Amino acid sequence: MSKMAEIKLKLKKQPEFPLEAESITPNNFAGKTLADIKKLPIYHSKELLSIGDFFSVSGKSDDDPKNLKIVIDGNLSKVKRIGEMMNGGEIEINSNVGMHVGNHMKSGKIIVNGNADDWAGAMLEGGELEINGDAGHYVGSAYRGYWQGMKNGIIRVKGRVGIESMLWAKSSKPSNKWPTLYCGSADSFLGIHNHGGTIVVEGDVDRCAGADQSRGTIVIKGKVSRILPSYKKMGEVNEVLLPNGEKLSGKFAEYSGDHSVSKETNGRLYVAI
Amino acid sequence: MFSSNPSKHRFEKPRIRVKGEFKEVSWDEALDKAADILVKAKRPLLYGFSSTECEAQGKGVELAEILGSILDNTASVCHGPSLLAIQDVGAPLSTLGEYKNRADLVVFWGCNPVHAHPRHLGRYSQFVRGYFRKDGRNDRYIIVVDPRNTNTAQIADLYIPVNPNEDYELVNAIRATLREVDLDEKEISGVKKEDIVKLAEKLKSCNYGVIFFGMGLTQSLAHHRNVDAAICLVRELNDHTKFLLCPMRGHYNVAGANQVFTWNTGFGYSIDFSKGYPRYNPGEFSSVDLLMKNEVDAALIVASDPASNFPAPAVKNLFKHPLIVIEPHETPTSAYADIILPPAFAGIECEGTAYRMDKVPLRLRKVKDAPGECLSDHDILERLLEKVKEKLGE
Repeated sequence: MSKMAEIKLKLKKQPEFPLEAESITPNNFAGKTLADIKKLPIYHSKELLSIGDFFSVSGKSDDDPKNLKIVIDGNLSKVKRIGEMMNGGEIEINSNVGMHVGNHMKSGKIIVNGNADDWAGAMLEGGELEINGDAGHYVGSAYRGYWQGMKNGIIRVKGRVGIESMLWAKSSKPSNKWPTLYCGSADSFLGIHNHGGTIVVEGDVDRCAGADQSRGTIVIKGKVSRILPSYKKMGEVNEVLLPNGEKLSGKFAEYSGDHSVSKETNGRLYVAI
Repeated sequence: MFSSNPSKHRFEKPRIRVKGEFKEVSWDEALDKAADILVKAKRPLLYGFSSTECEAQGKGVELAEILGSILDNTASVCHGPSLLAIQDVGAPLSTLGEYKNRADLVVFWGCNPVHAHPRHLGRYSQFVRGYFRKDGRNDRYIIVVDPRNTNTAQIADLYIPVNPNEDYELVNAIRATLREVDLDEKEISGVKKEDIVKLAEKLKSCNYGVIFFGMGLTQSLAHHRNVDAAICLVRELNDHTKFLLCPMRGHYNVAGANQVFTWNTGFGYSIDFSKGYPRYNPGEFSSVDLLMKNEVDAALIVASDPASNFPAPAVKNLFKHPLIVIEPHETPTSAYADIILPPAFAGIECEGTAYRMDKVPLRLRKVKDAPGECLSDHDILERLLEKVKEKLGE
């Protein structure tokens, strides 16, 4: 692949209230001059302003969003919704970032070199979200009231994910869609209402992992503070085969569940022993 | 309530704070100042609404839309988690009359109606004689699940002392037991496995059961997931018998606040109008979360006392910015307000509509005049709305 065109954004001043920056995606930047990009809308509470009011913009755009990379610098912890609905291309964020980063992403890649706030990668439909720090609550989860959350794609979090990550994740075998989360450690209710999502945790997990899981695979290489009473131990395995074809070796206790959803279930929880 | 009207504790005229002291002013002056604050603010918060009539709540929604503000009610720190759970998994609810006339098994989970809803037991759930429950208390089997041995627990037929914050695991174990799964653990959340099996049998074998649940589920760890699990339990019990549930709402019209907000905006609480249309996301637009992050620059508090209920850092941030309250008494919130607008009590001093906890609307009547210059919440908000429109040039 040829070298990607690159646009650089730098936050000029801290906003008083969070910015709603859903306009920052390769799709919106593609084929636009720097002056046009500066004019793209951004909400600061109820004021409708533009990207140029808060960011300095440099670099060169490309007509094809898939060949465009956006690099963002400055403290972005008050900037929400970067990469919303993104479809192709790449975003690199060299800072902590606000809520909803990469929500509804369809394809492409987002790298956060810092921590992400809540709802990172919520309702993800494809692509890859990499967070080289901790993430907030509801990573890759469904928004309130949705029965189908993350449908495809991969989220990698180096550090900890907050509560209710991968809420209502849903896989599809016919269309070969396997929503997957890799993380360092996790808070309570990891993978609640899971409908086929895959979760691999390198470290420890708080209570109620896999609550109400009807199908899916959760692998925990550390400890679980309390396994739900509705999970039943099936035995021990030396290898776990993830639905996406990946193999994880190690000694694991295999549990089936959640049996509060049904007596027979394909849901599995593996905990290292 | 009646004896406090009129009393020396009531505010009878609008007040504004001048150099740290409250000064009584005319309605025009107070409302003009209030409108100024709201119009100038970039991210105002409108909070409360649960102890006032529906007509005033409707005006609150209108004001929030025009201001592009945050709109929230006390469900945010109360039964909001119940609403979240209901949006996730639905809710089998009924009116209180049904429970009174039919229920032969009543579960109080994480609530203490003897103290919190003293008329509930006598009117709907325990001692009252119902159409099919002619012998009142003797025709009902009462189960209380609570970490504390409350007065409600003491008059129950079966008291289950669950470990604090472990309700989710207990509900989860009951659900698995209902599916004839033999649990691996011997004791769950402080309850023995054989007791859970007996409890599941008891729940299945009634003719008509109901779970009343309170803050013990919604505001202990796991919050809405406790309610989520309780709803799923009720759904599964309906494979065996008739079972329903009912949240024990607190403020007299908090159910109405959710109804009015929902029919106007589509959402029950935690609503943001900053983009001109309503968006909903508890955790992002809920009052406590916004105040903790200091993302609000003015507040209008209607019929509520957040200073007594919110976490201290949130209250500190609330007091940093201009604060308008519609409040009849001195409260920790009104003591720090910049403008106090004194209302009449709906149902005593003015008319209105209120929703009962089971979402039945009731007419509130007026029995006597309000003291001093007090206006109804509806009239105050309507006049404030006119002032705001004037200033915005609409």
